Amino acid sequence: MTSGGTSGERRAWGWVASLREGGTTPWSAWTGEAQARGRVLPGAQQLELLRRVNLAGRPTPELVRRVLGASAPGRGRPDLELVGAVDPGPFGPRPVDPADLPTDELVRVATSVLADDLVATALPEAPSARRPWRRRFRLVGDPWLADAARAELRARGRAAGGRGSVALVLATDLGTMLTHAWAHRVTGEGAPPWRAWLAEAVARDRVPPRADVLHALRAWDARVGRERVRLVLDPAALPGLTGTRRPLAAPPALSADGAELARRTAPVLGLLVRPERRTRVLREVLVPRVVALGGPPLVVSPEHAAWVAAQAERVHRTVRAAGYPVVGDPGALLPREHAGVAEPSEDGVLALAVRLLLAGPAESDSRDRRGDEDR
Amino acid sequence: MSAKVLLHVGTPKTGTSYLQDVLFRNQRVLAQHGILYPADRFDAHFLAALDLMRLPWGGLETEAVGAWDRLAARVREHGGTAVISHEILATASRSQVGRALESLGHGDGTEVHLVLSVRDLVRQIPAEWQENVKHRSTISYAAFLDQVRDPAREGRIATWFWGVQEIPDILDRWGHDLPPERVHLVTVPPPGGPPEVLWRRFSRAFGLDDVDLDLHAERANPSLGVPETALLRRVNRAANRVVEPAHYRPLVRELLAHQTLSRRTRSPRLALPPDVHPWAQQLAASWAAEIDRRGYDVVGDLADLTGAPPLSRWSDPDRPAERQVAGAAVEAIRALLLENVRLREEEARLHGELAETRRALERSYLRPSYRLREKVVRRLQTGRAGRGALAVYRRLRGRSSRSA
Repeated sequence: MTSGGTSGERRAWGWVASLREGGTTPWSAWTGEAQARGRVLPGAQQLELLRRVNLAGRPTPELVRRVLGASAPGRGRPDLELVGAVDPGPFGPRPVDPADLPTDELVRVATSVLADDLVATALPEAPSARRPWRRRFRLVGDPWLADAARAELRARGRAAGGRGSVALVLATDLGTMLTHAWAHRVTGEGAPPWRAWLAEAVARDRVPPRADVLHALRAWDARVGRERVRLVLDPAALPGLTGTRRPLAAPPALSADGAELARRTAPVLGLLVRPERRTRVLREVLVPRVVALGGPPLVVSPEHAAWVAAQAERVHRTVRAAGYPVVGDPGALLPREHAGVAEPSEDGVLALAVRLLLAGPAESDSRDRRGDEDR
Repeated sequence: MSAKVLLHVGTPKTGTSYLQDVLFRNQRVLAQHGILYPADRFDAHFLAALDLMRLPWGGLETEAVGAWDRLAARVREHGGTAVISHEILATASRSQVGRALESLGHGDGTEVHLVLSVRDLVRQIPAEWQENVKHRSTISYAAFLDQVRDPAREGRIATWFWGVQEIPDILDRWGHDLPPERVHLVTVPPPGGPPEVLWRRFSRAFGLDDVDLDLHAERANPSLGVPETALLRRVNRAANRVVEPAHYRPLVRELLAHQTLSRRTRSPRLALPPDVHPWAQQLAASWAAEIDRRGYDVVGDLADLTGAPPLSRWSDPDRPAERQVAGAAVEAIRALLLENVRLREEEARLHGELAETRRALERSYLRPSYRLREKVVRRLQTGRAGRGALAVYRRLRGRSSRSA
């Protein structure tokens, strides 16, 4: 499309100009015209995303430029023309009314811009000082609980590990552990959608390794001996077991929409930074920002509740019969009622992405984001 | 800044693997003629395309971080002609095209030429389905055809297919800023002709006629027949969940598909069903008319896009002759057995090496100085002061021999 152009093209450029200035009028209601201000018209997805961003706040000119210049990453629908702006020719995808685009397409574009923000944010420094007289322990089991506790204890100079460590197998009710296991995988090597992932575990009739308390107990029993293994079900006991007084903060409560946004953003990050750094960016930059915005967590859907309950009963029974040392009430392994949602909502994921885009990178990374450590 | 860049952006299944193999292996000869083909590895331009388009590809994308910018920088640093070639670039969006052209110096003095190699839809449609199957897909041929023919083009299969195959649209996106004389269309000749015709067309489009190149092919993307593709689809259905992409590539795509099943050339070939054939030919004719109207440089003949007439006996890959599939399966099992034998022999060799290394280690343990040091360490570890001294010694020595 060239400058000048048809009245449809001028109308489209008029809409682009209005959106650049913070406009929120939908394309179907737009009537003004303007001259072309670019090589090509941005795609319908980019324009509609910018309109949603404008509805939610006041984007910086830089964010406006980046949204309009972004392409949807991965496979999916190409950048689409606006219906009414160009004649639908015999070739190429059909033009669309941006209001009719599935939310999923807007999330695709948003994740590309968000991924750039995330890699531009400095990673927090990890404290490395170790107190020589610290208590020796390892934190294993539920990786979401273990990672959070490990990071906080490291910040207090009480790093895990060392000769003669006691293996503290952290666990909670199986439903929560499953959501933790999925979130850990989402922010690690990547994962299918929550429902598909859980349905796969149910179909195989196998608790995923990261939520498998019995496997962790048996493995550490074999490795260090039962006298150096504890199943920890009472979070309040953890400070005492790790030689610190102050209670530990609760692990990050990732919302269902936040976890899904992380899942959708992870593949784009994989093209910007190496896998090790991607995991750190997701867990140390994205997760804290998403957690700060709140939202209901994931829970097991009613269709899988019976399977989860049966598996939890089995674990509970086996733990008691095997006589593993338990800190806390073994009943904590059994299913509990939690408030939450059985799956993320596309609209919620988009709203979250828009809020994060408006907030921008938390702190610019002074290093070249594609520096040596990413190669 | 490059004086001239030849940017070959597709389409898939038009002899691109052969072309890229020739360019990759002849980098030195090309350089002597002032032509740069900047690739440290065969798939360098593929990785650059993944990076440009932010396209995950079964984990390979982790090797693509920053690859486009590095490729573009090498092109800009070169003073003569540079060649870039990868077929998945065909699906780039308009903004990605803009970024790519700008990074190569377009608008800043560099003469960018676009090259698009094209083949008739009669062959491209079944070939794309086969490519899907070779990339773990389990979709049936009928379902694939339905998706491709759906005017809405909303699914992943359809968006990808038209993104890399709809010639006028690819040229709209990539050729938008270029004069038609700098857009070169290389048509793939009809089947049955001499194989060197296609190379001669590539050679002319890329200006390689005066370069003495080694044209011996080491890499190609060979095609499979009907029973072989049907077998592979069944393998995908059975093994996708248990074979990770990193293992699928060497074992299924390379060993089974490319090295084994593609050699069975006497089985029925994939083709369009007779009822789909007229639609494909009609569409191709409209494309040829549009290309002719736009005035691009056509290397070959636009009539090549029409494609061959329907086969008198069409073989349906969704209902293959089971005897033929069984024959292909036996070949596949034979190949897997041979690979297993090779791996077992390798395992035995490594076990032997490990045993020899252990024996050498044990011999070194038997030396008196080692035994003395071992005794001292054991003694020190019995007391608190000794353990402290050992810790100080290890810290000073700076080795990571402390206990984990």
